[in-house]
Amino acid sequence: MRIKLDFVIHWLWAIAFAILTLSGLAMVGAKYGWILNWDIASADYIHRVAAMFFMILLTISIGQEAVKAVKNDKNKLTWGIIGPKGYGLFNFITSVIFTITGVIIWVGHEYNMASVAFSLYIHEKLTYLVIIGVIWHIYVKAYALIWPEKKKLVNNNE
Amino acid sequence: MLQKPWYKIFVWFISTSFFFIASATLIAIFNPPPSEEQVMQFMMGMMGAMHNSLMGLSMAIEEDRFLNFMLELSSFLITPLIILSILGGFFVRRIRK
Repeated sequence: MRIKLDFVIHWLWAIAFAILTLSGLAMVGAKYGWILNWDIASADYIHRVAAMFFMILLTISIGQEAVKAVKNDKNKLTWGIIGPKGYGLFNFITSVIFTITGVIIWVGHEYNMASVAFSLYIHEKLTYLVIIGVIWHIYVKAYALIWPEKKKLVNNNE
Repeated sequence: MLQKPWYKIFVWFISTSFFFIASATLIAIFNPPPSEEQVMQFMMGMMGAMHNSLMGLSMAIEEDRFLNFMLELSSFLITPLIILSILGGFFVRRIRK
């Protein structure tokens, strides 16, 4: 069976997203640190590495959509993580906002602390929105969780 | 492949982890304000992060002139690139019609 790029990217994205959310939430504040046992240093390191991986996946997905657009291919990718409408569009917009605010937080410390503070605020509040979005996505696609029934062998002589 | 047990287990694991994250977030939001011990633990964790993590390293990278040059060049280029790509998109749409 041919494994498609968008299928692989979808699940790598889910893993990266989960890692980013967990490590990011641990850094929000004193009420949240218990999630990773207050190990903020590890949370920070994991968050940055996972964020770079996240950006690579986003770039590949955007590239895939751009190639489709150039070829004028209107077929929707089954496992596409970004798209022109619905959850794909929501994912695209939030990912771009996360990337921009994340970059500002990462590099802005020596330039402009006000922009870092504002970006941190946006970065944190958007996290809650996307967690709701992911739970909604799992609900909509909940049929994927159904365990396949074992087919009973029928004895034709009976 | 989508019906194979390992795939189902993987999907269940990912879904469960997201539900864990959502419930942990709700628990943290609706918890009472942090105790002094929790605040101290968080602040100590942050102090450790300053020294041992990429955050601490990036604060020390301020003196790296090449990296600063790359950051300035990227910041200078990004807005024209975004504008050009948007204009390019409109141009492609116009050609298609």
